[in-house]
Amino acid sequence: MSEDIRKDSYEERISSLTSAEFAKALQTFCDKIEFGDAAQLNSCVHCGLCADTCHYYLASSELEALPAYKLNLVSAVFKNQHTRLGKIAPALTGAEALDADMISRWVDSLYGRCSLCGRCALNCTLGINISRLIRLARTTLASVDLVPSELQSTVSTAVDKGNNMGIPRQEWLDTLQWLDEELQQEVSDPSAHLPIDQSHTRLFYTVNPREPKFFPLSLLATAKIFYAAGESWTFSSDYYDVTNYGLFSGDDQASGVISARLRDSMHKLHANTLVLGECGHGYNANRWEAPEWLAGAYGFEAKSILEIIADYIRQGRIKLDPSRNQKRVTLHDPCNLVRLGGIIEEQRFILKRAVSDFVEMYPNREQNFCCGGGGGQLSMTRFAKRRIEAGRIKADQIRATGAKIVVAPCHNCIDQLMELNKEYKLGVEIKTVSEMVADALIIER
Amino acid sequence: MSLVLLLRLGVVLSAIYCLIALTILVARTFSFGRPPRYSKAQGSAAKGIVYAFGQGMLPWEKESAFKHLPTFFAGILYHAGIFAAVFFLITTLLLIRLPDIAILIIRLLAVIGLLSGIGLLAKRFALPYMRFISCIDDYIANILVGLLLLVTILATYYYVLQFAMMAVAITLLLYIPVGKIRHCVFFFYSRILFGAFFGRRGTLPHPSTED
Repeated sequence: MSEDIRKDSYEERISSLTSAEFAKALQTFCDKIEFGDAAQLNSCVHCGLCADTCHYYLASSELEALPAYKLNLVSAVFKNQHTRLGKIAPALTGAEALDADMISRWVDSLYGRCSLCGRCALNCTLGINISRLIRLARTTLASVDLVPSELQSTVSTAVDKGNNMGIPRQEWLDTLQWLDEELQQEVSDPSAHLPIDQSHTRLFYTVNPREPKFFPLSLLATAKIFYAAGESWTFSSDYYDVTNYGLFSGDDQASGVISARLRDSMHKLHANTLVLGECGHGYNANRWEAPEWLAGAYGFEAKSILEIIADYIRQGRIKLDPSRNQKRVTLHDPCNLVRLGGIIEEQRFILKRAVSDFVEMYPNREQNFCCGGGGGQLSMTRFAKRRIEAGRIKADQIRATGAKIVVAPCHNCIDQLMELNKEYKLGVEIKTVSEMVADALIIER
Repeated sequence: MSLVLLLRLGVVLSAIYCLIALTILVARTFSFGRPPRYSKAQGSAAKGIVYAFGQGMLPWEKESAFKHLPTFFAGILYHAGIFAAVFFLITTLLLIRLPDIAILIIRLLAVIGLLSGIGLLAKRFALPYMRFISCIDDYIANILVGLLLLVTILATYYYVLQFAMMAVAITLLLYIPVGKIRHCVFFFYSRILFGAFFGRRGTLPHPSTED
């Protein structure tokens, strides 16, 4: 499979890189290194204990998938540039120049065999943030237009069209109007509606564009919850996309442009809290990374929809009847939401009150295995075969629970889980947390 | 100047060089800078750091440790042996005569450390994935440290072999700043950064185990 990838036009692009582009890439690499990165690039002892923390390596046993190897690819260039022995005797420490061959290996392993899930970082005996360093290499590649074209296309669409699926404004508004009618029928209240561009609301709700495009009922589920809670909230007619694939492509500039739109919408709408819909990387990007890309603290709260729903339950603002969800349910922990986001217990708190039979998969919480859909892998079709293969670990976890429903608070994960469901014949339904809550909701009038 | 004095001076000078070189290395690392963090913390970086050096070091807290207990414990014992050997080297340099029981403990730790080191080196040689991620530096570092442990064990029996111990120590001290043994300093930074990252985000210590 690796050979197929190497033969495509990507290799032609790499071989056509000019010396000025190599110099630019190297300059970007050096400029982006912070103290912490440099300290960690000096730390790896090649103990190899990270090997089976990676779903790619576990599923394929390919040496190029080893987290330590992927880290080596980054540290080789660092050593070559910033260590004495790396300059004098590179072979001794594994130092290597950032040349065409190294870039080819970076693309193959750092884009093609990593979902930036951070599981290796959590389990590294020294605590090296391997996924952060891999993203640093991706940023280097992005600086010379070496982001795989399919992933770059997703980022470019978001930058150019305002959302990653290029949904025209009118289509978005039409979908919301249709959902408005659906909500009124659902709750038997003609005054129920989905607010758009309302200013001074408590919440500004953002969604993954896959929802209006393919899963509008998950939007309806959240709207139903807001209705039941009597919430003051709004959608934006312009910028509502919670995703930010710049996190995965490594393009900090594009990431900043995309993040700024939600921040600016918050200011325009005068909302109190930016609510990030069920999207793992969208949460990580907008909650944790965006203030860094924008070089300024938010002047407002940014919360996951899971925190909002959990608060409704705690405050008695919504009431749930778990007997309405009788099938066995298990929970998938999206890496960017849980391990890298810190939203760990809210979804459990909610599901234990929304379903009658909840079982954990193992390992779970911050030790969960990535489903394989993160890191831009769903966009990079050239690596699809590896993605599905790496997802076997998650499929095995799901099968072991005996669950009939897998809840995943992330639309990227949902897409990957749907593919795994088909590929590994799991026979499960995949749902969001909001959908489970909406099904259990007791609407009081 | 006698050979023993020359070697003692050599160890002291190479130790000074090692410390200065490591200090420069750390200063250069700091020179990369650290931009301020703008996102609002959810958890506590301080609690994360305490976790990283405490509970987070326990084998059951890390999959990489509890799935590989022999390697994990070999690593612990290897380092215990190294610390014992360094302690013995310092007492030798300072002409401190240790009680027999202390020498026995040092010998025991060095023997166990040496065996652990040999085991880890054998693993590196034997397993394809270990060879794949290893570079020459990994083997040199293991062999140099193993040599130090070996001569330390012998020096606890035969006084004359303290010369050999000091000669190996000089070589090792000169190698530390350029090779992977520099992790003796960067380990602490890595663990601090690890704890601060996951602590700040509220991932560690895990909310349910925090209290």
